[in-house]
Amino acid sequence: MTARREIVATWVVVLAAATGAWSLAAATLPVPAYYLPPPTAVLTALRDLTAKGILPTYVADSLRRIVVAALIGLVVGVPAGLALGMSRRVADFFYPLLNFFQSVSGIAWLPLMLVWFGFGERTILVAVNYTVLFPVMFNAVLGVRSVPRLYVDALRTLGAPRWRIVRDVVLPGALPSIATGMRLGLAYGWRALIAAEMLVGAHGLGFMIFNAQNFHQTARIMLGMGIIGVLWLALDYFFLRPLEEATIARWGLVQR
Amino acid sequence: MQAKIALAGLGHEYVNPFTRERVLALDGLDLEVPEGEFLTVVGPSGCGKTTLLSILAGLTPPTRGSVLVDGRAVTGPGRDRGVVFQEFAILPWRTVERNIAHGLEIQGVPKAERAAVVRRFVDLIGLGGFEKKYPHELSGGMRQRVAVARTLAANPEVMLMDEPFASVDAQTRITLQEELNTIAQATRKTILFVTHNVEEAVFLGDRCCVLSRRPGRVKALVPVDIPRARRTWKLFTSDPAFGATKDHVLRLVREEVGGEDNR
Repeated sequence: MTARREIVATWVVVLAAATGAWSLAAATLPVPAYYLPPPTAVLTALRDLTAKGILPTYVADSLRRIVVAALIGLVVGVPAGLALGMSRRVADFFYPLLNFFQSVSGIAWLPLMLVWFGFGERTILVAVNYTVLFPVMFNAVLGVRSVPRLYVDALRTLGAPRWRIVRDVVLPGALPSIATGMRLGLAYGWRALIAAEMLVGAHGLGFMIFNAQNFHQTARIMLGMGIIGVLWLALDYFFLRPLEEATIARWGLVQR
Repeated sequence: MQAKIALAGLGHEYVNPFTRERVLALDGLDLEVPEGEFLTVVGPSGCGKTTLLSILAGLTPPTRGSVLVDGRAVTGPGRDRGVVFQEFAILPWRTVERNIAHGLEIQGVPKAERAAVVRRFVDLIGLGGFEKKYPHELSGGMRQRVAVARTLAANPEVMLMDEPFASVDAQTRITLQEELNTIAQATRKTILFVTHNVEEAVFLGDRCCVLSRRPGRVKALVPVDIPRARRTWKLFTSDPAFGATKDHVLRLVREEVGGEDNR
């Protein structure tokens, strides 16, 4: 616990120093104000946008989209990946396909999706969900394939039927990989979401920072970027970590 | 009386996935194990010991020959034949007690009854106080005790053990061997125990089955005429019958490895 406190204390110092350096640079560098606004300008932007209700609405838009994608990833991507992974032959067949699509990110799909689905919510949702889904499925397949044969054999010799082997061995055995898939999927999805919001221009943090650029509202851009990062930290802390702590960390399958 | 395990003309051939060579692991193996016997199986490495066990477990279908347990042909794994594997095969995501209870859970034994059985086996293997621990919190010897307890708790007719103590340290191995001896005496189960360690084979077995080099078949069956109650390492090693039997088995094994030192 003291180690944790030390880390927090160190971070407070580092952030304070960085903010000080930033303030100094903004005050002394011979550039226009919009080029490098001081930290106070970002705080002012935060206050104004919060008071007007714009920021809370945009944050809620972005969060809702990523949370929906996370849930769909869990409810659709994980079971689909598990199902594909069950058979070695099916898994081998789909492996290159899943690997291909997980590398062609939602961002690369955006131009085509704009043609198909138009400048609206639909494109954003398709892009984000697509981006989350493939790494989740891909890693669930890998997870199933990585379950030691020995565990399956041990359960078979105890007389376990197939459904029980799936529930007691395959599912928990695939969890470390599933957790990795969720982490990657959401990280990619969060990037794709911001990019989609920029292009589609229908609310959200991505839209906010892209639009601010048109009006030289640099403080807004910086504010938006900061919030994007902070929200990811929160997502990790409140959603991904508890999932890992309750399972694979407790079982000694990852070193923390 | 009908033998508990009866193998006749057992042969097994497989293709090595790396070299693509056909390997004849077992050929013309005949063996009968009466009910309640503790049979140890030794032989040079690669003689098909593990294959034999895997076939009996129903995990590997033999290429030819018949495998009968209680007069019925083995067609797949079943809870009448419990297996203790060489590596740690207990589940990392289950606590000690839930691992031990797993077989009973599968059999649909009610929770209260399960708890009673688990308590009994936790005591038997000396892991009181560790019931709620996960395998990664245990030593290698403790994990293998849990594996043995899981198999015993499921109460199989036959126990198949594949070098279960090979990966624990020497001191722990001695303790585990003595414990297994006590358990064998108490439960009177039919046990087939595969090992490459001749001393271990003689210490544990009612009879010691020596396999030939590949393709494995039964080279000799050596009875070990020392009562089970006298089988602690202290008493056992000073017993002249032990030394003589050990030397005899060792000689048989060494004939098969062709001079290669095998302890």
